[in-house]
Amino acid sequence: MSEKMSSIFEKFERSRDQLIPILQEVQREYGYVSPESVKKISRYLRVTENQIYGVSSFYAQFRFTAPGRHSIKVCLGTACHVRGGGTLLEMLERELGIKCGETTDDRRFDLDRVACLGCCALSPVVQIDKEIYSRMTVTKLAELLKKYE
Amino acid sequence: MNKLKKKITLAKKKWEELQDNRYPVIYVGAASCGRAAGALELISDIGNFLKEHSLEAKVIQVGCIGPCYLEPLVDIKMPNQPRISYSNVNSKVLSNILKSHLIEGQPYVRASIGNFSKDTFMDIPPLFQHPMLQPQVRIVLRNCGIIDPEEIDHYLATDGYLGFMNALKMSPDDVIGVVRQAGLRGRGGAGFPTFKKWTVCRNSPGEQKYLICNADEGDPGAFMNRSLIESDPHAVLEGMLIAGYAIGASKGIVYIRAEYPLAIERLKKAITQMREYGLLGNNILGSKFNFDIKIKEGAGAFVCGEETALIASIEGKRGMPRSRPPFPAISGLFGCPTIINNVETLGTLPNILRNGAEWYNRFGKEGNRGTKTFSLVGKIRRSGLIEVQLGTTLREIIFDIGGGVQKNFKAIQTGGPSGGCLSEEFLDLPVDYESLASAGSIMGSGGLIIMDEDTCVVDVAKYFLDFTQKESCGKCIPCRVGTKHMVEILDRITHGEGNPEDLLTLRNLGDTIKKGALCGLGQTAPNPVLTTLRYFRNEYLEHIKDRRCRAVVCKDLIEYRVIKEKCTGCQSCVRVCPTGAISGPRSEPHNLDPTKCIKCRSCYEICRFEAIAGDAIVIRTAEKKS
Amino acid sequence: MTKEKTISITIDNKKLDVKPGLTILQAARLNNIYIPSLCAMEHLPSYGACRLCIVEVDGIRGFPTSCTTPVDEGMVIRTDTQELKGLRQEILKLLLSEHPASCLFCSERDECKEFQGTIRKVGYTTGCRYCPNDSRCELQVITEKIGLTETSYPVYYRNFPVEKYDPFYDRDYNLCILCGRCIRVCNDIRLNGTLSFKQRGQLTTIGPAFDRTHLEAGCEFCGACVNICPTGTLSVKTGKWYGMPDAQIKTTCNLCSLGCILNLQTKNNTVIDSLPDYDSPIDKGLICVKGRFCITEYIHSPMRYGTPMEMTPVGYNNISWDQAFNIAAEKIAHANPDESLVIISPQLLNEDLYVAQEFARKTMGTDNILPAPLIYLSDDFVPYWNLYIQSQDLDAVEKADAIIAIGFDSQYGYSSIGVGIKKAALRGACLITVNLKETNLDMLSQFMVQAEPSSWPGIIEALTGSTKRGPVDKKVANIFKENSIDIDEIKRALAGAKDRLIVVGHGGLNDPVRPDILAKIEGVVDKKYWGIIVANPFTNLMGMMLVGAFPGLKPKDIYRDDTMDGAIALKSGFTNLDLKKKKRLIYIIGDAPIHAIPEADYLIYQNAIPARFQRQPDLILPVSLFPESEGTIISMEHLVMPVKKAIEPYMESRPDWWILKGISERVKKGRLKYKDIQSIQGEIKKLIRGYPNIKKRIEFKKIIISGVTKTKAKKVIPVPDFHKAAYRGIALSDCVSGMKVIERSLDE
Repeated sequence: MSEKMSSIFEKFERSRDQLIPILQEVQREYGYVSPESVKKISRYLRVTENQIYGVSSFYAQFRFTAPGRHSIKVCLGTACHVRGGGTLLEMLERELGIKCGETTDDRRFDLDRVACLGCCALSPVVQIDKEIYSRMTVTKLAELLKKYE
Repeated sequence: MNKLKKKITLAKKKWEELQDNRYPVIYVGAASCGRAAGALELISDIGNFLKEHSLEAKVIQVGCIGPCYLEPLVDIKMPNQPRISYSNVNSKVLSNILKSHLIEGQPYVRASIGNFSKDTFMDIPPLFQHPMLQPQVRIVLRNCGIIDPEEIDHYLATDGYLGFMNALKMSPDDVIGVVRQAGLRGRGGAGFPTFKKWTVCRNSPGEQKYLICNADEGDPGAFMNRSLIESDPHAVLEGMLIAGYAIGASKGIVYIRAEYPLAIERLKKAITQMREYGLLGNNILGSKFNFDIKIKEGAGAFVCGEETALIASIEGKRGMPRSRPPFPAISGLFGCPTIINNVETLGTLPNILRNGAEWYNRFGKEGNRGTKTFSLVGKIRRSGLIEVQLGTTLREIIFDIGGGVQKNFKAIQTGGPSGGCLSEEFLDLPVDYESLASAGSIMGSGGLIIMDEDTCVVDVAKYFLDFTQKESCGKCIPCRVGTKHMVEILDRITHGEGNPEDLLTLRNLGDTIKKGALCGLGQTAPNPVLTTLRYFRNEYLEHIKDRRCRAVVCKDLIEYRVIKEKCTGCQSCVRVCPTGAISGPRSEPHNLDPTKCIKCRSCYEICRFEAIAGDAIVIRTAEKKS
Repeated sequence: MTKEKTISITIDNKKLDVKPGLTILQAARLNNIYIPSLCAMEHLPSYGACRLCIVEVDGIRGFPTSCTTPVDEGMVIRTDTQELKGLRQEILKLLLSEHPASCLFCSERDECKEFQGTIRKVGYTTGCRYCPNDSRCELQVITEKIGLTETSYPVYYRNFPVEKYDPFYDRDYNLCILCGRCIRVCNDIRLNGTLSFKQRGQLTTIGPAFDRTHLEAGCEFCGACVNICPTGTLSVKTGKWYGMPDAQIKTTCNLCSLGCILNLQTKNNTVIDSLPDYDSPIDKGLICVKGRFCITEYIHSPMRYGTPMEMTPVGYNNISWDQAFNIAAEKIAHANPDESLVIISPQLLNEDLYVAQEFARKTMGTDNILPAPLIYLSDDFVPYWNLYIQSQDLDAVEKADAIIAIGFDSQYGYSSIGVGIKKAALRGACLITVNLKETNLDMLSQFMVQAEPSSWPGIIEALTGSTKRGPVDKKVANIFKENSIDIDEIKRALAGAKDRLIVVGHGGLNDPVRPDILAKIEGVVDKKYWGIIVANPFTNLMGMMLVGAFPGLKPKDIYRDDTMDGAIALKSGFTNLDLKKKKRLIYIIGDAPIHAIPEADYLIYQNAIPARFQRQPDLILPVSLFPESEGTIISMEHLVMPVKKAIEPYMESRPDWWILKGISERVKKGRLKYKDIQSIQGEIKKLIRGYPNIKKRIEFKKIIISGVTKTKAKKVIPVPDFHKAAYRGIALSDCVSGMKVIERSLDE
């Protein structure tokens, strides 16, 4: 891990304002922010691990446990809510047996909500991995899940 | 300066060639909304078609021209023909279009919505006479959906960076003067006169100053900024140059939310192009102005749209706002004088500096000059991105541009979670900062959410407050604790456990939070509740006294039922019911056990879309008590 | 004297002249105008979160917080309008809905106090009577001042488990109102960074990363967070339930040589808490875990001797002071002075030390005085002393441009030095840390060298040597390579540094290479390019030397004023108090160097707590400890610091000087005639003008050894448990359970 982290650090100056970009890069590389990576960032930026954790846990983007194979994000923006986004989330929680913010036991899916993906005219919207699916319904979504291993 | 002028001449020539094309050009609307509608699949289909038929054509990805309800949008320009726009293009329609228009040279009129010229062409009306586009005044969005956002030459060809070049010829103080005369107000929501903030910053002592573009568009339902950056990034960047020059900043930062990856990519490309063309760096275009732009990604916090929280986020801290004074214009990022402008404010600047303040004063009205982009979404026929003059009435926007509501209009939410729900008595309200504020709402960033009779306002109020609760930074007591109590009360009301005193408690809580909260998020959080209480009081009372949700939304107040007379017993619903609440043999009317029903809508949807009867399942609420 | 510029503001129709640069809240407080606040605190950066201090200001929209708004010329402020009163009440109601405050508005609350004893056995705090901070809680005060008499909001009890697994203080975050004071003091004042806000909004919690314990997360246990917590969230394990103290006495800490000021809080003749003084110009309130948390458990330890005791064949007998004095006097009269030995602790007060050396010389007739530092440092005592007296003031630390910290770790001691070093490093100073293990300063150091003490002399040479690029010792070069350090980079960094400082901890003081380390440092400091601060654990070393409690030194011998030479000569061999030969009589005053005590026919032990002697003392004389005594010590900054009595001595225990005087009265010759502290101070005053009210630094002479012997320097014998913090020879961890936990974690 040291080598990869060193190559990440090379891209950033050693100052406090680089903390969030570094965390974003770490999460892009590893999928999550681990205690080991926090320790290394602490040495690099000269900020305690507690302060780093305090900053990263503030932002919804960062997760501290390894992600599942596929990430499902249900958009709960106003337009999507008004057109039934909440029902989609409930259906997923039921089908997958997990609550929003958790990962299935077989690590197949992460389930999360997102405030607004900015595709409001095509609501309700669900994002799986990098694909955005618009005008979703409960039945369409159930079919869609089958596409993902 | 001369180098750039040469490049502009070349760019204009290229653009001319594109307009007088000798080969087919296919434009595909592939901004995020277009992609969500399937634009990328269409592009690969087009590629395959061209290969199969050994045809040569240029395929250009453009941004969003506005009417998202018509997406995917594909334009085809054949030589000696105007550019024809096709809407709702799926694979099947695409192959028809390509066969007809590309191979046979005949526009596929059935799927077209307009042509880019001023006259009708082969029975296809001018695109900009379309009822959604015609009333609009497209200043900020002038290039969106028309040019290739990844081509700086397209931007230059349409008089891009001319505004900046004009600004460089003036003194920074004069630039501020132009903006003052134009009457530009911050488009991020507060509507503060732009020139005032700039003047304070300009006069603040300090060598290093910063200009930050606030692209942390967090309002759910708003996507104007995303669209603009994806469709015409240089408009925003030119605005940053102008603003940076005016205030004396040498460093620019675009703070953009991480949920907009395509916009970030487009920005990065555009900035690289600017450097190549000498528009960033030291002594830009031979002047004394030094400027460079960095991109900082947000990390998923709505509160970071607030100025001081945004600054804290850039500094690598928790995005928690701080009290003012000191104001960011005097002491902001790293303690230096800082100006934070919204994407749209910056996107307006090139037009003002290019055409002059007097020109800009032709639009809008006194005190509310210019135009504003809005995202028109919800229960409206024609949803999408629009730009109208300030002072246009809500009625015009909803019914003329938006094509009205399918069912019956109920309410319009402006300003996102900081705004309010206005009822139909406000349809003739002009859309300007003061009018909206007097009605209890705000302009906000421009999200307009239309609601019809199928929307429960109590549910909407709860939704917004829930959102604010989750996005609250947690620093001050009124917002952190007060909104939690409000959510809890609204929750009880939507579950049919409300008390009559709750309405007074909500009002008092709202008042305390508005006055006591530290930042704008907290101070405006109660607005959705307070406006719905004011204008839809009866609906609240129905929930509390009658345990009735007239919009048939609140789960504990509704019931699903099978209409036996209509049920054909096709078993479609039985298959999809997750709790086995519906039972019944084939060809016999089914039974729905309300104690097992979790109101997931699966049976309702499948009956409507796939079942034989189509309308045998209904959702009912308690009867109205007279 | 020039008049300070003031500006004029109006608060509640009163015109006031205030200093510019103050906040409205500060200006109001200075003029006795009450504005309620919870998250604001003197010495902490302002935060503006509780919103209770809101005011109305003409020209500012809304309700700005007075703790964050600076005053401006002509400002018109209103603090007490009806609307403000109403808002504050509402905000307080909201605050209390997150805090189990069931007793606040209960009509039975005064009668209920009778039943406090049984209520406390409940594990969870659901109201004031159950709370360890009852009567000391700022919420109770504010509720009364704001005039809140009821609340209608439901209480959200967050149901966190109470955190009890760290030493010294418990944490019950169900009571936390998220005022953020603890976070600001830990991060901005102490520069430690253990505490942080986690998550956001309603889910906000406070603590270290990843739910670690404070011990794992690097907490110094300085107690700063506990001091300023307005509620019962953070409570000292040994200080719960007491309510308001009876009195608060300001005194000087005796646990190391820094001389930090302590405010001892007492109740019913018990020291219930030990708090810093944030206005102290010397330590600025930056005390360490020892002064903060160890004093209560040490002085109230159940192991403490309560009465004089005599050893009999069947165990110890309690005896009276009369009897004790007689026995001791008899033993002294019959002992040959050459075969007597007096072991003295450097952690005694000046007055006790003065009487101790008089007692040894006049009453016992012997110059066989063995101060404990001589046992620990032996031949290296002299170079150590010579370095120690050159210690600069604590102010010099944060102003330094380059600091080399050798064997120094400030996590569990010497906080004001540690924080000063961190401030300097954050300001851009070049910080180099040299130690065997990791230190708490490593994170901020520019260069971190982890190496065995045997290589430290070479490392010091390489770091402080001339700026010309000379060859560096191969072994040292390897060490630098292993630590990824470029020696040229260090040279460049040091080249521009004007004020340079070496901080000497006790990392290398127990190592065989100690003489070389000290010699090397002495060589560097002598050339005047580098200043020095010695983090000295021997509290009153200067006082001890000044009053001559040292073989070969008379009182005032080592005192230096401008007319005198800088050095005093001592004959070599003064350390050769042969510890192998059996003694007739050994009298231990206030220490317990159990590994080094020679055999003795009779052993007198004058201390407060038993030590693990191989051979049990024959006579035990219980002594009162510094919170029970009056007197003075001399701190590292060369200042005479007052020690004030906070409580009465425990049972029959008495001050050292009183016991010695009592014995001397029964011995024929050498009677000491002191009746109180003042009389001793009067004696010392004859030697040192102005004592004890000396406001300026006392200067000391260096020691030069004359008559150099040709024999080899004595080999360093490492002292077991040298690293453990101790008071009067007893490891703090023997009496204080929290210190045991800390030391166990250090050993891992």
